[in-house]
Order: sequence, then structure tokens, then C-alpha cells
Amino acid sequence: MSIMSQTTVLDRTPVRDESLAVRLQDVTVRFPTERGVVTALERVSLTIPSGGFLTLLGPSGCGKSTLLRVVSDLIPATSGQVEVLGTTAAAARARRDIGFVFQDASLLAWRTALENVQLPLEVGGRSKRGGARDARELLALVGLTGWENAYPHELSGGMRQRVAIARALINDPKLLLMDEPFGALDEIKRDRLNEELLRVWEETGATILFVTHSIYEAAFLGQQVMLMAARPGRVREIVPVDLPSPRRVALRETPQFIALAAHLRTVLEAC
Amino acid sequence: MSMPALSSHDASEITSADAEAQAGFAAAARLAAWRRRLLPLAAVIALLVLWELGVMIFKIRPFIAPAPTAVAMTLYGKLGMLLGNLLPTAIEAVAGFLIGNSAAILLATTFVYQRTAEEALFPIAVMFHTIPVMAYAPILVLLLGNGLEAKVAIAALICFFPTLVNMTRGLRSVSSQQMELMRILSATPSEIFFKLRLKSSLPYLFSALKIASATSVIGAIVGEWIGATTGIGALIIQATYNFDSPLLYATIVVGSAFSAAFFAVISWLERYFLKWNVAQTA
Ligand SMILES: Nc1ncnc2c1ncn2[C@@H]1O[C@H](COP(=O)(O)OP(=O)(O)OP(=O)(O)O)[C@@H](O)[C@H]1O
Ligand SMILES: [Mg+2]
Repeated sequence: MSIMSQTTVLDRTPVRDESLAVRLQDVTVRFPTERGVVTALERVSLTIPSGGFLTLLGPSGCGKSTLLRVVSDLIPATSGQVEVLGTTAAAARARRDIGFVFQDASLLAWRTALENVQLPLEVGGRSKRGGARDARELLALVGLTGWENAYPHELSGGMRQRVAIARALINDPKLLLMDEPFGALDEIKRDRLNEELLRVWEETGATILFVTHSIYEAAFLGQQVMLMAARPGRVREIVPVDLPSPRRVALRETPQFIALAAHLRTVLEAC
Repeated sequence: MSMPALSSHDASEITSADAEAQAGFAAAARLAAWRRRLLPLAAVIALLVLWELGVMIFKIRPFIAPAPTAVAMTLYGKLGMLLGNLLPTAIEAVAGFLIGNSAAILLATTFVYQRTAEEALFPIAVMFHTIPVMAYAPILVLLLGNGLEAKVAIAALICFFPTLVNMTRGLRSVSSQQMELMRILSATPSEIFFKLRLKSSLPYLFSALKIASATSVIGAIVGEWIGATTGIGALIIQATYNFDSPLLYATIVVGSAFSAAFFAVISWLERYFLKWNVAQTA
């Protein structure tokens, strides 16, 4: 893994496609509940360039998960426009262009690591897309060589999350949505997985939309950090991140990073 | 990856210490396993000896409580007759087990997909469950006659409710994130059922089946009490009326042995199908 991250120093600006991976325009989501209508998202607009990495940061209940659900066609927007990979969210999902990683790994307990990674190939009209990746290679990519036949209960929390990432990558998605995937891990594991995720991002060229509660994670991973405010959930500020690539954990000690994190904290506290 | 390699000296030292620790651990595990098996066996033998001594010392008459040796002699002498009576009971219990559990699994599946069916039928199932088997057994014998059918029906009914409840719970035991995962993968309803719901329900189903393996035998025996000329239940009644306590006890031993074997088969199937289950392997 160290070889990979040292050799792939990508200059991503000129290589990448200029088209947008995600475009939301005035998206509002309301849920009717017993206590009245909850506005989870209020006129949210955002764009993510193809190949970009946007991190979503905000207090609990500000609609981060709801936003991911709208983008992945799990729930409809009450109003506004949603465009994913140049089409509707439903079409992008049906094309298998969207990968999703949940907070708990949501592995199926009766399947080995390898079988879990292969699940997307077995359901939902597997022939729709040819470009499936090799499950063993993906497990190797996330550092799990030798664990192919382990059941989820034999894996640590961090390893399960890696399996979930490999599973999300099996259809070679153009867009990867991650909802607090490392929220339940200790800091050391989280740091390592952050570095690895950046490496996977560079290797696959996918666009990533990543939800987190951690200011440091948001700043370390994102090309852009979107800060949200709650009640109703809305965009507070979108902060571009100008940090050198490839990013290593040591970057967090630099004055540049500390200043960025301080800025994010100020905005977040005002939310 | 960049870790300095251990010197061969260190490495061998660690492996031999490891091997020693491992051997020690294995020996302790073997001892524990033997203890687990031998202690209950010793307790059973001690109880039997006490019982035998008790019968001898207090000169208890055989029809009140037979000595274990008398029971053993009956078992040996009348084994053919006992097994001949076990056969119908076993058939009734196994048939009832299959029918009752299949019906419960089908109804549970319906409940999961049709809330209305659950709301309409579940209270009725609860009501039936509160009726003691001794109360509805004669009704079934009247309805279905004195043959195998009534006993099978009683065994099936007695299995039905626990499996219905467990299976419904099991089929619902999928997390909302697992469901969302399946939706993102555009899984069809039948894929969601077979690849997610059914598999999630297996631990629940097997704990119900283990209960049912014992209760289905009880159901068959109770059915035979009401009207039958063969079977473990009929033999129990006859032996009681004839004050033939050694035969009564021997019959009970044969019935229990069958129950235990049935239970063991289900447990073995559970271990085979639920290798992945933490609760099973731990
Ligand atoms: N299915 C639903 N029905 C009703 N209300 C909902 C539903 N889903 C979300 N909400 C509400 O919408 C708001 C935003 O929820 P959401 O889960 O998107 O927040 P979040 O930012 O992901 O929070 P967290 O950081 O705690 O995960 C919350 O007030 C929540 O109660
Ligand atoms: Mg959330």
C-alpha cells in the first residue's frame, strides 16, 4: 500500500472530465410525521465535479444522511432538481453507477468477506453492467488479502468497514456515497482508513461524497468541505480545501491544516 | 511492511514458546471438554445408584417405584415390543413437526408481506395457543377419528405457535440499512426475500424448531392417550392401568430417547446451516 500512495502523485485538475457528477438545485425534503412536517433539507444547492471529493460536515440532524438518500434515489426530493452523473438519480442507481457505504458496515453475517463483496453481482439484474471488478483484487486493494473466507463476526470493526468499501466498489461506481463510514472506529484506525480511502479514490477515479462528524476528517479528505446547519437542514458554507496531494496524516500538524480546521470549527459553532 | 525482520534466533524462540502455550491451551480445553461430558454422566450414575439403594433399603414395592435394574431388564426383554410402539409415535411426531412448522413458516411469510393478514389472524393464533393441548386433543380425535391423522394434527398444532412467532420476528430482523443496501442494488422482492430475510430468520427459526422437536413428541403422545391401541402414549396408559411400573418407566425411557435424538438431529442441522452465527460458534 505504501508503494501505491508514493507513486500515484496525480495532478488531477487537467486530467479530469469537466462534467458534473452531482448537481442539486434548491432541493427540499420534507417528512410528514406525527409531530408535524419535518424539513430535513431546505433549498440545498451544490455541485460536485466529476472525480471530486466533497465532505459533508454538520451537526446531528442537519440532513446529511437525507442528502445522501436523495442522491442515491432512496427517497425522492419534495421539490428541486437532482442530477446524478448527467441523468436522474434513479437512472444512475439502476445503471449501478452509485456505491453506498453505511455507518455500520451492513455486511450479511452468513456470507464470507468475499461473498459479501460479490453480493452486488448476484442481485438486481447482474447483466446490466459488464465492468465488474474482481472481488479478490478489491479485497487486496483495501488490505484484506488472506481474509477472503472470514465471516463478519471474525473481523474487527475496521476490517468490516473495508469489506463494505470493497463491496461498494465492485461495480466500479462513478459515484461513491459514504455515510459516516468510520464513525464507530478509534482514531488510529480512522486515520489509517482515511489515508487508504484517498489512495482508493486516486486509484479508481470515482467521485466521493463523504459524510462525517469530524472536522479533521472532513478537512483531511475533502477537496471541498460543505458545512450544513440544522433545523431546517441547509447549506452554510462550501469551503475549498487547498492542501497538497498525496495527503498523509502528518499533514494535520501543518499550520495550513490547523488554520483550515479552525475556520471550519468557527463556522460549525455558529450553526 | 517496513518492519525490521526478526532475527532467526528470536523467531524460533517465539515459535517454541507459542507452541508450548498452544499445547497447554489445547490440553486445558480437552480437560474441560471431558469434564463437561463426564460430570453429568457421573451425576446420573450416582442418582441411579441412590435410587436402587433406596428401593432396596425401604423395600418399596415395584408397582409404586421400580428399581432401575428392573426397568433396565424390562427395557432389554421387551425392546422389540417397545420399538414397535415407538414407530407410530415417531411417525406422528415427525409428520406433525413437518406440517406444523411448514404451515407456521408460510403464515409468517404472509404476515411479513401482508400486515392486514397479521392483524386479522394473529389474535386468533394467540387465542388457540392459550387453549391447553389436553383440551383440544379430544376435539381433534372426535373430528379426525381414531387414526394417525388426529395425532399428527395435535403434534402439528403444538409446534405451530412458537414457530409462527419466532419466524415472523426472524423475517423482520433485517436492519433498515440492509434494506437500503438491497434497494441501491435494485434487488427484486424475491431476491430480498431469499438473500436477506430468509437468511436473517434462520437463527430464530432453528430455536423454534428445537422447541418443536420436543413438543411434537409430546403432542403425539397426548393424542395417543385419548384413543389409540399402539404407540408410546397407549403403552403408558396400559402400563399404568396394569400397575406395570417397570414397563411404564421403560416406555418413558424409550420416548425420551427418541425426543432427545430428534432434538440432536435439529441441533446438528442448526450447527451445519448456521456456521456463520456468532452465538453458535462462540
Ligand atoms: N424517514 C424519516 N421520517 C421522518 N423524519 C426523518 C426521516 N429521516 C430523517 N428525518 C428527520 O430529518 C432530519 C435530518 O435527518 P438526517 O438523518 O438526514 O440527519 P443527519 O445529518 O444524517 O444526522 P446524524 O448526523 O445524526 O446522522 C432529522 O430531524 C430527522 O429526524
Ligand atoms: Mg446521518
